Amino acid sequence: MQQAAALFFTTQLTHLAPIDVLILVLYFAIVIFIGFYVKGATNTSEEFFLAGREMSAWVAGLSFVSANLGSLELMGWAGAAYQYGILAMHWYWIGAIPAMLFLGIVMMPFYYISKTHSVPGYLQLRFGEGARGLAAASFAFMTILMSGVNMYAMALVMKVILGWNISFSIWVGAITVAIYVMLGGLRSAIINEVLQFVLIWAGAALIPILGLIEAGGWTNLKAQIAVNVGSTDYTHLWSTLGHFKDNPMGVHWTGIVFGLGFVVSFGYWTTDFLVVQRVLSANNLRAAKMAPVIGAAFKMAVPFIVIVPGLLALAVLKNPDGSILHLVGENAVNAAHPYSYNEVLPLMLIRYCGPGLLGLGITALVAGFMSGMAGNVSAFSTVWTYDIYGAFINKKASDKHYVFMGRLSTMLGMFVSILTAYLVANAASIMDYVQALFSFFIAPLFGTVVLGMLWKRATKAGGFWGLLAGTAASVAMFVYTSTGTAAHKAAALATIALSPDAQPMAETLYRALWAWIICVGVTVIVSYCTKPIPEAQLAGLVYGATPIPDDGARGLFQKPIFWAIVVITVFFILNLIFF
Amino acid sequence: MAEGTGRGERLSIWFFVGMLTLVYGIVLAPYGAWEWFGNHEAPTILNNLHPTFWWGSLMLLFGLFYTIKFRPGKS
Repeated sequence: MQQAAALFFTTQLTHLAPIDVLILVLYFAIVIFIGFYVKGATNTSEEFFLAGREMSAWVAGLSFVSANLGSLELMGWAGAAYQYGILAMHWYWIGAIPAMLFLGIVMMPFYYISKTHSVPGYLQLRFGEGARGLAAASFAFMTILMSGVNMYAMALVMKVILGWNISFSIWVGAITVAIYVMLGGLRSAIINEVLQFVLIWAGAALIPILGLIEAGGWTNLKAQIAVNVGSTDYTHLWSTLGHFKDNPMGVHWTGIVFGLGFVVSFGYWTTDFLVVQRVLSANNLRAAKMAPVIGAAFKMAVPFIVIVPGLLALAVLKNPDGSILHLVGENAVNAAHPYSYNEVLPLMLIRYCGPGLLGLGITALVAGFMSGMAGNVSAFSTVWTYDIYGAFINKKASDKHYVFMGRLSTMLGMFVSILTAYLVANAASIMDYVQALFSFFIAPLFGTVVLGMLWKRATKAGGFWGLLAGTAASVAMFVYTSTGTAAHKAAALATIALSPDAQPMAETLYRALWAWIICVGVTVIVSYCTKPIPEAQLAGLVYGATPIPDDGARGLFQKPIFWAIVVITVFFILNLIFF
Repeated sequence: MAEGTGRGERLSIWFFVGMLTLVYGIVLAPYGAWEWFGNHEAPTILNNLHPTFWWGSLMLLFGLFYTIKFRPGKS
């Protein structure tokens, strides 16, 4: 037994006790069981790709927020909190909440009543096959890469924490996810996302709770961070954003508000099919509107288990001799600085959690990674089957054939993800990779979708050329800022972010902003140069040409808009508290 | 209809949530009690607060509530 284990385990941060292994095995057993259990209710394409459109607002809402709560997110943003301080919180609050509420209240009625199967499917209805093909191809490419990133990240984490062999983790994770998604489709993915949401809190909430006890409360934590890093900038959300060089992230408030809070956030939360697919599974219009509102309420709480641990690490992590333990970037890890930012969450987990709780934390991380893979692969198989295979390759196949294609593409998608995982092994930084992918497609897609929904004059040619121009501009800016000499990169960054003091995080935000502006500009110009679409053809697709049906809410407490106002009010209060 | 798992199925998604947390509570709470009362606490920070026992107990109660509330056959 020990010899067999030695094949898989090398050096490690800690090791699992038998009770930890038991907890991990129980999780794997239940997810495989769920896959087989729901297979009987997954026979038609509607059931396989949209979970039968029978999810309640709570299930769809938790799945919606959980699809974005993968371990890559958790570990990356905990590391970002250590590196940049509380500014990382913006990605959870202004970078999510307004967009989620906008999706629920403004955009969801159009997605839902158009009965589209996917976001590219909506683009086909509104802008024709060209826009659909472009969006579908870019999305399929992105999701497969993201699935591979998740896979590699999980393998890397398991190697760092437990010493597991990279290939062992990749294949075990991939085979498990392939089995349960292939059997149950989106339904399996959603159930596992809800389970994962509970597990993430069960496994990670003890870190901030015990950490705040150790630090002596929030006020003492802020004081200790100020002493350790020699600045109070790490614990203010807004007051340091007046100039690029006044804060650890090197960003300006315009980048946070317009780049992150508007373009990146609205792009991701309202047009990324990975998350929108969860809401499309809702069982009625009111549930579809409520799901993002419920998701937003839970999203606001997530920094407690992600950002707070990163901040706590700045205060409490010490070397054995009592000196402060400094974490560094992935490229700067050496004998003197053995840990990187991305390891902050596992380090904090090991600090407070012994056998049993450690297994729970590791299981939560594994669940997060597998859920990330499942989400990407299920979204990929939907877009591949409906918007590429069904739209361009085999238009008249039977429903049964499309379900077969969904299962087949799940397997093939997982295989391509595995190849991607091995390719990503050479990437310098996981989060940089994700951010780059993110801004290529998401920002211009948001420009196209929002104009399509809110502006009747937008034409098919306008939508297609706007999307193409925005995406091409995004890729071009990325190449411009990430190639050449160091001096060229610095000059390119200063040009894109409009300041010589800007840091790489600012570049991502401004690149997204420019890509969106170019997309919108080209769409408007081309639309005015081409023949408008008759209003009768826009019914059910565009604001002003569509009577919004009653969502069935009776009384104040059933109205999604009421709960959206409650959530946005809490959002403003939280921003003021941590200003 | 069992919520989330499909028309005609008996087990609700919330039942799975309850079962998973209940099983984890059943594993963790007794283990935490053994650590506490048998002086086998792991050398972690703040282990004097016996987090495994208390967290396991909380999960057990949470899981018990959900498992009973969403048990099969209860409409």
